[in-house]
Amino acid sequence: MRTTSSNPPSSIVLRLPMWRSRVVLFMMFAGFCALIGRAFWIQGPGNDFYIAKGEKVINRSHEIVAVRGKILDRNGAIIATSLEAKTIIAYPSAIPKELSKEKFVNFARLLKMSEQDLQKKLSDSRSQIFLRRLIEPDVAKAIKELDIPGISIVNEPRRYYPEGESMAHVIGFTNVEGKGQEGMELSNEATLIGKNGQRKVIQDRLGRFVEDRGDFQAPRNGMDLQLSIDSKIQALAYKEIKEAVALHKAKAGGAVVLDSVTGEILALANWPSYDPNNRAGMSGDQLRNRVLTDTFEPGSTMKPITIALAMEKGIVSANTQMQIGHLQIGKKVITDTHTYGTLSVAQIIQKSSNIGTSRIALQMSAEDMWGMFQSVGFGQAPKIGFPGAVAGIVRPHEKWGKLDQATMSFGYGVSTSLYQLARSYTIFATDGELVPLSMIKVNTPPVGTRILSPKVAIEVRSMLEMVTQEGGTATKAKVAGYRVGGKTGTAHKSNGKSGYASNRYDAFFVGVAPISAPRIVVAIVVDQPTAGSHYGGEVAAPVFAAITNGALRVLNVAPDSALKDLVKTPEMMQQVSMQR
Amino acid sequence: MSRAVVIVIGLLMGCSLLLVYSQQRTRILFMEKNRFESQERKLNQEWSRLEYEQRELSKSSRIVEMAKKQLHMNEAKQDKTVYLKVN
Repeated sequence: MRTTSSNPPSSIVLRLPMWRSRVVLFMMFAGFCALIGRAFWIQGPGNDFYIAKGEKVINRSHEIVAVRGKILDRNGAIIATSLEAKTIIAYPSAIPKELSKEKFVNFARLLKMSEQDLQKKLSDSRSQIFLRRLIEPDVAKAIKELDIPGISIVNEPRRYYPEGESMAHVIGFTNVEGKGQEGMELSNEATLIGKNGQRKVIQDRLGRFVEDRGDFQAPRNGMDLQLSIDSKIQALAYKEIKEAVALHKAKAGGAVVLDSVTGEILALANWPSYDPNNRAGMSGDQLRNRVLTDTFEPGSTMKPITIALAMEKGIVSANTQMQIGHLQIGKKVITDTHTYGTLSVAQIIQKSSNIGTSRIALQMSAEDMWGMFQSVGFGQAPKIGFPGAVAGIVRPHEKWGKLDQATMSFGYGVSTSLYQLARSYTIFATDGELVPLSMIKVNTPPVGTRILSPKVAIEVRSMLEMVTQEGGTATKAKVAGYRVGGKTGTAHKSNGKSGYASNRYDAFFVGVAPISAPRIVVAIVVDQPTAGSHYGGEVAAPVFAAITNGALRVLNVAPDSALKDLVKTPEMMQQVSMQR
Repeated sequence: MSRAVVIVIGLLMGCSLLLVYSQQRTRILFMEKNRFESQERKLNQEWSRLEYEQRELSKSSRIVEMAKKQLHMNEAKQDKTVYLKVN
């Protein structure tokens, strides 16, 4: 039996099998091979994937927001501008559940929401919710100070309108996305809107941009738009029309002031109106730009146009004496407010005689009258680039009977907007030319279309002046210091069926000033006055006087009436002060 | 020969360091440019805000109202206006 000692002799060497070391060596070799292979893959064929991954982390596409153009009045005063406002965004999942009651109540108050509403919004399953868009920076600052996790505040441009409701219908407004929705904001969208720029940048660990990656697209800011509107005249027109509607307990009202030399619209006011800065609870009634979108029968304001045509055709002259008397066409009797025996053509305008105008109209052909109405712009959509501007109606002359011809001569059976009516009167202000109108500031006066000979235009203009003088229908249109002229109109409103409402009227006045060298045309409508008188001469003429007085002062137009005693030379002024 | 190699290596090292430096410098300047751009945008915004505020304060309807209510002024009527003839 062999025995083994516990201590092996020193000469004995432990020999492990060779294959084990080879295996280890092979495994190490294989490991290195794998590493080299992996490194090769990462650096070589698989490189794009990692580059893309890396770039995703550091590359940022950054949008540069373009600013919408401003809208300015004719003197460069701002009437619409974009300012940065704050939008509050919530990430509901990041908002802690144990938010203090006090913070929550404050937050809801700043957002002008009830706590229940806010709670409901925050329990939404969406990852991101717009809590309030475009709020004042002060409110946003207060929200930031609450320091609620999961609430983010971002900048967005918001539109502001310093003139508020007086210019609402002219400018219109934009939506939260900054796109024009009404008025000039809508019709000039292409000019006003800019194009956002974009840049690709590399961002460092702290979120700072450190390098441009090319591909830079510069933002293109919107261009400013200078309107023809004069904000002082506009404010005045708005105030006057608003007061007139209140005074006469009317339904609505409108006023237009045109520069008859350049064709620029200096003011266009409507009541009721709205504040474009705060459109909550706004109704369609407030939104309507009545001056351009509502049509009505112009009543007696049509007479000067009819008579101008008759004078142009040589049928009558200003001094032709007409037998007025009684006029019946078929079963219909044409009436006047007073009974007249004989009137001159000028007096027919001054007294606003329906019978006289009808008698003159019946001497003309229907085609000629239709042609005249068309050529002064009735029945045609205005080319003014304003959304919703209507054409009005002038029926084809082939369908006119004798009665139609007579009633149309004094403005029934034809419909126009106040804008069209004001424009048609430029023929009396410019010695016979119809001027194209513009809402945009005009640098060179446009070329008008000749409708009347200068002689006839000047004669009709002096008839219009007679209307505002003693014996005329609109003595209340007088403006101290200036010679003014115009025509009143009082039209029965249609009852919606085939006839006219007996107790509902539109009161108009369209006038030109100053008569010696006309500068402006002013048109006024007061819709359905119910308190006191309903006549154009009583309701609309005083509004014309107030607006004309202010507008001529703003435009620095020298007085042209018999105020010679008030006009003093510097020497006379010196004498006055020496006497004192 | 070996001296030339050393010089070339030295130049190469220098260029590499300069490259790193200029890259760093570019980034710093780029950040500065961004900062100024955003400052410009903020100042433009501030300018627009001030313009708007000035407009709000100077609009004629506000001035007329203040003149009438606070200063008890009236609009100048034609009969109280003296027109001067300047030749």
